[in-house]
Amino acid sequence: METTHVTIERASAMPAATWHFLNMNDTQIEMPEGLSIAPAVQVSEPWAARGAADEFENALADAQVEWEKSHPAPTAEELAEREAYVAAEVDATYGGTAQSAYQIAADAIEESRSLAVAFEHGTGDEAAAYLRYAAGDRIVVAVKEGQSVDAQVVVSAVPGAVSAAAVDVIADANSAVNLSLVVDAPTAPGQSGASAGITGTTVRVFADEGARVEIDRTQAVDGDFTDIDDMGLFTAENAQVAVRQTVLGAAASFTGLAGDLRGDSSRIDVDTRYLGHSDQKRDFNYSLRHHGAKTKCNLQANGVLAGTSSKTLRGTIDLIRGCKGAEGSENETVLLVDEGVHNKTVPVILCNEDDVAGNHGATIGHIREEQLFYLASRGLSQQAAESMFASAIVEQAAIDATTDAARESVVRYGERLNPGFADLFEE
Amino acid sequence: MTSNVLLRCRGLSAAVEDKQILHDIDLQVPQGEVHVLMGPNGAGKSTLGHVLMGNPAYEVIGGDIEFDGADITELTPDKRSQAGLFLSFQAPVEIPGVPLRSFLRAMMEGRGEKMKNKEFRKKTQALAETLDMDPAYLDRELGVGFSGGEKKKVEMLQLLLLQPKLAILDETDSGLDVDALSVVSRGMELYREQCDGTLLIITHNTRILEHLNVDRVHVMVSGHMVAEGTAELIDEIDAQGFERYEASISPSEGAHSGRPDTK
Repeated sequence: METTHVTIERASAMPAATWHFLNMNDTQIEMPEGLSIAPAVQVSEPWAARGAADEFENALADAQVEWEKSHPAPTAEELAEREAYVAAEVDATYGGTAQSAYQIAADAIEESRSLAVAFEHGTGDEAAAYLRYAAGDRIVVAVKEGQSVDAQVVVSAVPGAVSAAAVDVIADANSAVNLSLVVDAPTAPGQSGASAGITGTTVRVFADEGARVEIDRTQAVDGDFTDIDDMGLFTAENAQVAVRQTVLGAAASFTGLAGDLRGDSSRIDVDTRYLGHSDQKRDFNYSLRHHGAKTKCNLQANGVLAGTSSKTLRGTIDLIRGCKGAEGSENETVLLVDEGVHNKTVPVILCNEDDVAGNHGATIGHIREEQLFYLASRGLSQQAAESMFASAIVEQAAIDATTDAARESVVRYGERLNPGFADLFEE
Repeated sequence: MTSNVLLRCRGLSAAVEDKQILHDIDLQVPQGEVHVLMGPNGAGKSTLGHVLMGNPAYEVIGGDIEFDGADITELTPDKRSQAGLFLSFQAPVEIPGVPLRSFLRAMMEGRGEKMKNKEFRKKTQALAETLDMDPAYLDRELGVGFSGGEKKKVEMLQLLLLQPKLAILDETDSGLDVDALSVVSRGMELYREQCDGTLLIITHNTRILEHLNVDRVHVMVSGHMVAEGTAELIDEIDAQGFERYEASISPSEGAHSGRPDTK
């Protein structure tokens, strides 16, 4: 079976659009025709439990019941009072103009009172559906209460094909899951005779009360591939999800992560590291919605852009009415190595609650003067220093790799990028 | 002595943002000797170290710097480093995103020293152990989360790896506890033993000099070089401070009113 040409028009869309002329509200992903569907996926065995195909939906349905107990539907009087309040606010703030498309959509989600409706995929439903179709059966990691599981999924790039995995993680109360996702290119370019292809993962996480989920995704595929990293997260009370994303290869990479911090005192941390060189394209979209009180999210992105590479990052933290005491922060460091790079960042903090904190910080630019002088005092010219920053991203990824598969993948990529790199990690 | 002078600056004056910091500095450091640069806070000692290394934050407005027989006044800091000059920083910068070992390797490769990785790892690990430094630091981002003592050890590690012709140590002993101070002293001794290195030590603290045979001492006040003498000056300064040197500088614009007697 071969793919037909598909264009996903509004992938990785920001929840609240900004000026259209900035051309960064969303992105477009081209899925070329003529690719075979060939998921080359290896799953580490054994792990404690493989769940049923509908385990995620069931967990969300159970959570819906629990959530409704603690969040009863508003009475007709309360609804009328709320509508009057909103109308007054709109009138006072916007002079009676209509709500924005975002406000209407956001209100519809909240009014649905449905956890399933509120659950989002970071790259959007269409991209997630494409990957799910290409992946075939879902890999379901279901961990029972109090247990701990390490799981690993390796997706290998297949020239001329779509190779994808769909993974569900259901972490019961007080359980722990470490999931390693490696998107790898075991075949050196040119060896197979074919070229471009698509790799991807679409991951849904349900972290129940007090659960700890850690996900480490490392992508080191060749320059002519397109990679899509899609995630959707749900956290119940006191649950914590930490995601680390390392983006090294692929001509174009699309990283999208959406999270519903539903339970009180739950937390999501995202640590993204990336390298863009030659004419590579990097696209990131983050959307964290704080529903629960005292919830926390922290988005941290560090990258190096060289050559004529381009990067867009949309980071939205939505502090929804009722999330009292919530804190969201997003921070970005981008080192621009060459003059030809394009870097766009849109941090958005939406706020509909009083007692909350939203923070944003960014350091974007060339190496700081004092750093440059320090490196120069050790004999490194500006060019040598910038080159060191680019290769250090790959090296740090190899050092920090949490599994042998991830490390081997990064080392292979480093060797293709810079012959001799593998020697650095020889024992 | 003049035949083996490694570093010489003549009439060196420097400014930052139109404010003159160094005034007409003369300094000679012969190869293989240990010189100490002393002075009260704000004397311009660190500025002199940075100007010698070529920090672009400072503008040389007069005089010249000769190193190893060549005029380096106009050279960029990386070229000065390649020529064999080294500056150990009082407050080493942090470089997030770059593992210490990557930096050290880039530093060596910049000098055309291609070392097999196994050999390089072995060498850096051995040096780290010599300096009582956990080798795990080699895989950490340069300076990030390092204590003050660890940062200074990393400076010493670079000194021993590069083995420069002349090392300027800018307050390398500041803020260190006794243990870290002894490690830094060991690093300085090793440097001297391994490559007959030349040292220009900027310090307030005479304790770091206890294990070194100091050849000459230079005293700076308010951007002026006000005295030069033998190692005996250290004991004198230790006992009496810089008062008499400060008195030799007129308060108006820090103008130099003549040098005190030197030995």
